[in-house]
Amino acid sequence: MEWLKELGRRIGMLLHLRQFRADLEEEMQLHLDLRRQQQAEQGMSLDDARFAAHRSFGNATVLKEQSQMTWGWSWLESLAQDIVYGVRAMLRTPGLTIVALLSLALGVGANTAIFTFMDAVMLRSLPVKDPGQLVVLGTAKDHGITDALAETNLYSYPFYRQMQQRNRVFSEVAAIFSMTNVVHGYVAERSETERMQVQLVSGTYFPLLGVHAMMGRMLTDQDDNSEGNHPVAVVSYSWWTRSLSRDPSVLNKTLRIGSTAFSIVGVTPPEFFGTKVGESPDIWIPLSMMQAVPPYWGNYTDNYSESLLLMARLMPNVTMEQASSNVNLVYQQISQQFIAAVPNNPRTQQARSELPHKHVPLTPMATGISQIRAAFSQPLNILMTVVALVLLIACANIANLLLARSAARERELSVRQALGANRLRIVRQLLTESLTLALAGGVLGVAFAAGANRLLLRMVSGADTLPLDVSLNTTLLLFTLAITLSTAILFGTIPAFRATRLQLTAALKDGRGASGNAAKSPLARAMVISQVAFSLVLLVGAGLFLRTLVNLNNVETGFNKENVLLLHIDESSAGYQPDDSRLVPLHQQIERQVSALPGVRAASYSSFTFNEGSWNGSVYVQGYDNNKDVNVPHNVIGAGYFAVMEIPLIAGRSFGPQDTATSPRVAVISQTMARTMFPAGSPIGHHYGMGGQQHANDIEVIGVAKDVKFGSLDEPAAPLDYLPYTQYPGYLSDVEVRYTGDFASISSAVQKSIHSIDRNLPINRVSTLDDQVALSIIDRRLLAQLSTFFGLLAVFLSSIGIYGLMSYVVSRRTNEIGIRMALGADRSRISWQVMREIVLLVTVGIAIGVPVTLAGSKLVASMLFGLQGTDPWNLLTSICLLLFVAILAGYLPARRAACVDPMVALRCE
Amino acid sequence: MNRDEIPPGTLYLLILKTLALQRELHGYEIAEAIQRTSDDVLQVEEGSLYPALQRMLIRGWVTAKWGITAGNRRARYYQLTAAGRKQLALEVSQFERVIGAITRVIQTA
Repeated sequence: MEWLKELGRRIGMLLHLRQFRADLEEEMQLHLDLRRQQQAEQGMSLDDARFAAHRSFGNATVLKEQSQMTWGWSWLESLAQDIVYGVRAMLRTPGLTIVALLSLALGVGANTAIFTFMDAVMLRSLPVKDPGQLVVLGTAKDHGITDALAETNLYSYPFYRQMQQRNRVFSEVAAIFSMTNVVHGYVAERSETERMQVQLVSGTYFPLLGVHAMMGRMLTDQDDNSEGNHPVAVVSYSWWTRSLSRDPSVLNKTLRIGSTAFSIVGVTPPEFFGTKVGESPDIWIPLSMMQAVPPYWGNYTDNYSESLLLMARLMPNVTMEQASSNVNLVYQQISQQFIAAVPNNPRTQQARSELPHKHVPLTPMATGISQIRAAFSQPLNILMTVVALVLLIACANIANLLLARSAARERELSVRQALGANRLRIVRQLLTESLTLALAGGVLGVAFAAGANRLLLRMVSGADTLPLDVSLNTTLLLFTLAITLSTAILFGTIPAFRATRLQLTAALKDGRGASGNAAKSPLARAMVISQVAFSLVLLVGAGLFLRTLVNLNNVETGFNKENVLLLHIDESSAGYQPDDSRLVPLHQQIERQVSALPGVRAASYSSFTFNEGSWNGSVYVQGYDNNKDVNVPHNVIGAGYFAVMEIPLIAGRSFGPQDTATSPRVAVISQTMARTMFPAGSPIGHHYGMGGQQHANDIEVIGVAKDVKFGSLDEPAAPLDYLPYTQYPGYLSDVEVRYTGDFASISSAVQKSIHSIDRNLPINRVSTLDDQVALSIIDRRLLAQLSTFFGLLAVFLSSIGIYGLMSYVVSRRTNEIGIRMALGADRSRISWQVMREIVLLVTVGIAIGVPVTLAGSKLVASMLFGLQGTDPWNLLTSICLLLFVAILAGYLPARRAACVDPMVALRCE
Repeated sequence: MNRDEIPPGTLYLLILKTLALQRELHGYEIAEAIQRTSDDVLQVEEGSLYPALQRMLIRGWVTAKWGITAGNRRARYYQLTAAGRKQLALEVSQFERVIGAITRVIQTA
């Protein structure tokens, strides 16, 4: 530890540098005085004594310097000098410095911002114990409830318990409900409901993750060992903050959800947001209470109510291969046992034959499970590439500017070298200048990123802001520091070494430097060429994404998305049971009463409108090839639904008062369903059914509706059927209102009207159908907006690069131009000479950029809609735009060259 | 009077030894003591004491504190530390080994 103490002393000295110098000065002065005194006492004259004292002491200045250098801080001192010198040099050319700083700040900031999102969505590990040991059974991409007999992604509660007991590779297995229950519950004694996101979890969930309570306790297996009698809840730190203002007596409070009062037993630590990235539950409730939490999804004891995601922690020293083989063995055993228990299920035979081919993949979940990851990982990867290219362009720009400046400083540098400055010392100084510039740009970039992150979060979020932590953290700052240093090295090294590689005598003799050499630098040209090539790539990409967005916006949805108010009601939280006889009258009354409001043209309700998930099921159609496993999405609707959505009926009729719970079952089918699944001719009057052959006569087709987009804008036309609410009552949630006039006043009138029917019915997510559609392409919108912004930025930076290079070339050749003009060259010829060079550079850049672009467009094919990556018009437009901007950037210097007064130019040294 | 430059590398040794004999000395006193003890044979370029003292401070061989001289002036007094004593022993033995070797070489007839 001796070196540590030594370091402490050295740092102590650094902190008291002024004191140190004064002490040394005083000490030496005392020495000199004492010596002089002694000499004087020996009889010397005062002057002689002083002289003798100085002689025997040596060179005090050098000795002071040596004493100070002994402490080993001289590098720091010269660094500080270099920085001060660098800052002064930058301030001398403020225009250049501002351009460099701004482009760096934008480049670094954009990279940091996009990386922040990549980190938050894709890279960051869950804040739990050893996240690397966690796996999910299956792909974790599905969510919902199924009753399939050999399912590998969603599992039933009994399956979870079996897997937990029988496996030999996991130290713990936990289950979470694959969907979040959004409920409206009461906090403590309050009279207003509050929206809460409830995550149902097994008792082993928190022990599996190793998450400990910040207050109270987390859930344990004791809370999940028998159904229905564990009304306990754990609340999140952010909910505790938001809803209870961090009330310390939170553990004495209860939550009334549905008809159950749950006691709050604990608060999670602040950093814990669950295990699904992009979702953050407010409340965790044990699975044993699933039948008490609206909308009462799931079943605790049914082998075939599969709605859970299973996660597990690998035992130490167990490999993924070992785990996978054991899990699949146990999966087969449990599934065979479960299938054997339902011999009369019509699907049993098929399940038996399929089972041996089923495989449960194990998915690592160190970074959590995420539904938004699937949507955003590719756009983020693309954007990361885009911003990296922008940064490269910015670097090339700055390198060029520095190159030009160091060429202008050739004389200064050669004087310094001639006076004996070490070449490395000068390189170090130039690099320090670049580094100072880069760090300043980096700091600005971080500030820029902090703002950009908030903006981006708004851009990717719908009505509710996505719960992503995009604040700056150590990882991000390290990332930023790393890219900042790399940029400094990228743009600083070459100019620094070039600047010091001098023909000293030539540079000294010739006042303006060896005019040809630096100006014709192939390096500067190469950089402009690469800027142009990169810009082309970005511009073409921006064009592709922009047109994709336009194409998506122009997609024929089949319904009229304008002027439709959309809101969601939560019947389950208002005390309605799923089979409540009050549900049908409730919805009919809402439809009737809202329709009668002034400004409302039509109102109805449905289980879905657009991009809200689906309820799929297999159907059996008489006379259709039913061996194909066709899942048809069903939409349960009110009688006025087609009118509100303005979906035209092509044949037959819509639902009416004659379709009641007791009348024959009826359905309206989509055009595509009619065409592909029914015999030729009109399907009206034909029958089909949900499920197997025995149901084939259940439902009569009474109408055919025009095809609509149901899940997404880029889906192909697909089968879809509509069922009347009177025959399929239950929770619906969607209310849609076609209105004219002011959205805000209609919205409040509609809500008031609904509350006049049932005061306790929670209303949430009030928006428009238009917004709902826009939200479904939010990833493509993000890509289009950002890639356009960065594409234009790239072109702008490149044009600055071209302008800078050309101005420099022109200023260096003023002399030569003057001679040419004096000899009779005309102005247009001079400016053409300059322009020719620009056109050449840009053409070479484009020639390199085109194949790169075409190769790159293959990688983004899946993000495009309605056009090919190789779209020639898009490519041509981009090339023309680039040429236009480049020529404009070069025109100004060229004109200046042409306007040179020959006499001035010749006199110009 | 003929004065000799001190052999290179022995300055630390001389300072350490000088301080070992006294409780505390300031720079001038150290220079004086070295000259006096060596009967004015050894001549230290007096100023070079100071960079050497700085190095010894860094290494922790000596400590310094300010005091008042007989002439009523502020002076920095240096004092040997335990680490300094150890270093002195080390340097002495090293020096004797080298000098012994040199002596043997030049005395060989």
